[in-house]
Amino acid sequence: MNAYKKEVRFTVIMSALFLAAGNVGLFFSIFPVEGMLFGFPIMYIVPILSGWFGIFVLTLIASRMGNRIDEEIEEASELETLERKQKGA
Amino acid sequence: MGEEAWQLSNPFLGVAAIVATFLLFYLVGYISNRKSKSVTDLYVAGASVGPFTNGLAMASTYMSLATFLGITALILQLQVPFIMLWIQLILAIPLITIIYGTSLRRMGAFSPTHFVRERYGISASIIAALFMILVSIMYALGQMIGIALAFETVLGIPYLTGLIVGGLIIVGYITIGGMAGASNNAAIQMVIIALMFIIPLGAIMKAIGGSGWFFPPLLYADMVPAMLEAMPNFFDYQYSTKWYVSLIALTIGSLGLPHLAMRIYTASSLRSARSAMVWFAFVIGLVFSATYAMGFVGVYATETQGITISQADADKLTIILNLVYNPEWVSALVIAAAISAGLSTLSGNLLAIGALLSQDIITTLKPNIPERKRVRLGYAAIFMGGVVSILLAINPPAFLVVSILWAFGLAGVTIAPLILVGVWWKEANRFGAMASSLVGGALYIIVSPFVFPGIVMTGHSVTDGMGLSGAMLAIPISFILLIVVSYITNRMPMFQARLSTKADHELIERIHGWKEVNPARYNSTVGAAITVVFFTAIAIWAAMPWNM
Repeated sequence: MNAYKKEVRFTVIMSALFLAAGNVGLFFSIFPVEGMLFGFPIMYIVPILSGWFGIFVLTLIASRMGNRIDEEIEEASELETLERKQKGA
Repeated sequence: MGEEAWQLSNPFLGVAAIVATFLLFYLVGYISNRKSKSVTDLYVAGASVGPFTNGLAMASTYMSLATFLGITALILQLQVPFIMLWIQLILAIPLITIIYGTSLRRMGAFSPTHFVRERYGISASIIAALFMILVSIMYALGQMIGIALAFETVLGIPYLTGLIVGGLIIVGYITIGGMAGASNNAAIQMVIIALMFIIPLGAIMKAIGGSGWFFPPLLYADMVPAMLEAMPNFFDYQYSTKWYVSLIALTIGSLGLPHLAMRIYTASSLRSARSAMVWFAFVIGLVFSATYAMGFVGVYATETQGITISQADADKLTIILNLVYNPEWVSALVIAAAISAGLSTLSGNLLAIGALLSQDIITTLKPNIPERKRVRLGYAAIFMGGVVSILLAINPPAFLVVSILWAFGLAGVTIAPLILVGVWWKEANRFGAMASSLVGGALYIIVSPFVFPGIVMTGHSVTDGMGLSGAMLAIPISFILLIVVSYITNRMPMFQARLSTKADHELIERIHGWKEVNPARYNSTVGAAITVVFFTAIAIWAAMPWNM
């Protein structure tokens, strides 16, 4: 897959995952769940945990992948410039 | 315990705590500034600041008086739905970083208006700047209400006197250049704010018998059975799925806030900005979780401990809990920390107003205006912005968070679509941008209860006041207009001469890291069409009855 497609796919999927992790309450409003976890109602504590640790884990992944995609774009961009110069020559 | 006037019995303690905190911040600002060799050095202090400090500074910039006072008041009012609302606000910096922060950084744009000017031209940027001034004033209004409440509690004076005394002291402080924007200061402030919130919360939990007082943000499950007995509906979601969908409008709104994207720019590199995002998520998650715990403890105390808090005092919940359960000097420190949280955000808001008016409007319209006059205008704008927010706070909305979240919605309607679509779709042009922010912004203002109380979408005062219902309608309309108007005007020969299509395409390639222009990139008509269909569905849904 080329770097551009990777960049677009990464941004779309990562944004969707962030939105999902930060809006677990929305999912519970559609599919309510009974029961307790760690002494709290599941529908209370899971959104809070996901809104903290879930987002934290996603930022770790996003940070690593973002850096890698930057490198790939840089390489692909150099290659593209080189190809254009060769074609032009 | 009956209803009473909540205030410090010894005002000197409060005044001393406030003065000491101000002195500390001033000292840190002074030392940090002395190290800076030039104005640019001061501005991009991040060049020598690591990701941890920058992450803390991001959190400090984002947190405001709302964290101390506002959230807990609305947890008292709405219970769990408000916690669900607040959780997703953590997404601001992560989404800004991955969606457009790194691109703006590559471009060298340090504010959203800068991007709008480069991408859509002068007229669109002036419209954006005017809306951003309104966003900043409404944001400042929330801080001003909180500051007035804090001064009221410290000095035992009426709200109006607290507002005028506290407001003018702080606006004067910011105007004469206090809190010069050093990242070190913001980072230290973040640590102090977190400590002064979480440690007193632990003491309150211990006093009411909670066994998890040593880690308040998550360890209060032992209080849940008593809470369920006293208030069985505390954990209920109360509202329909539509209400929870409308919360995403706030996430989009946070992407358009003027002062957040700047923190990505102050990082020393893109890598450093991404690491700062990780620290931001960890720290803000900790503080947010502590505020939910404070809200829970507040409701618990009112339901099981006989504490009565009137509607008018709801915004003071955090301070009241400290007054009841902690020694007075602790309450004094909490109030001082709350004021400094408000001060840092207010300073950001007012400085943004100054920059928007002097740089983005006056200098753009009159480029030859002398530097000295521009600086003076900037100072005047900062002061006037402060005075306007004081005047608006004379007759404030019921809760201070309401005006802050309304500002989020306005940023989401008028700024965020321009940046998001502008960064990812080459076809977006100035006509689309102007139509989007003018029509979307006007619609959002019309359906808000502050202008025409009779024209509202739900009739549920907090939902309308926070801009949730208005933003759920106006944000989709803004996206649709931006895409459709751009698509049509790009194909009308009469507009061609007024468009800078080639330069726009080069700009977009460059900010994504490409040196060459490739027509196949960032140009998807299918993606744009899907966005239009999706937002049309959301807008229709928002316009249908809410049944609240």
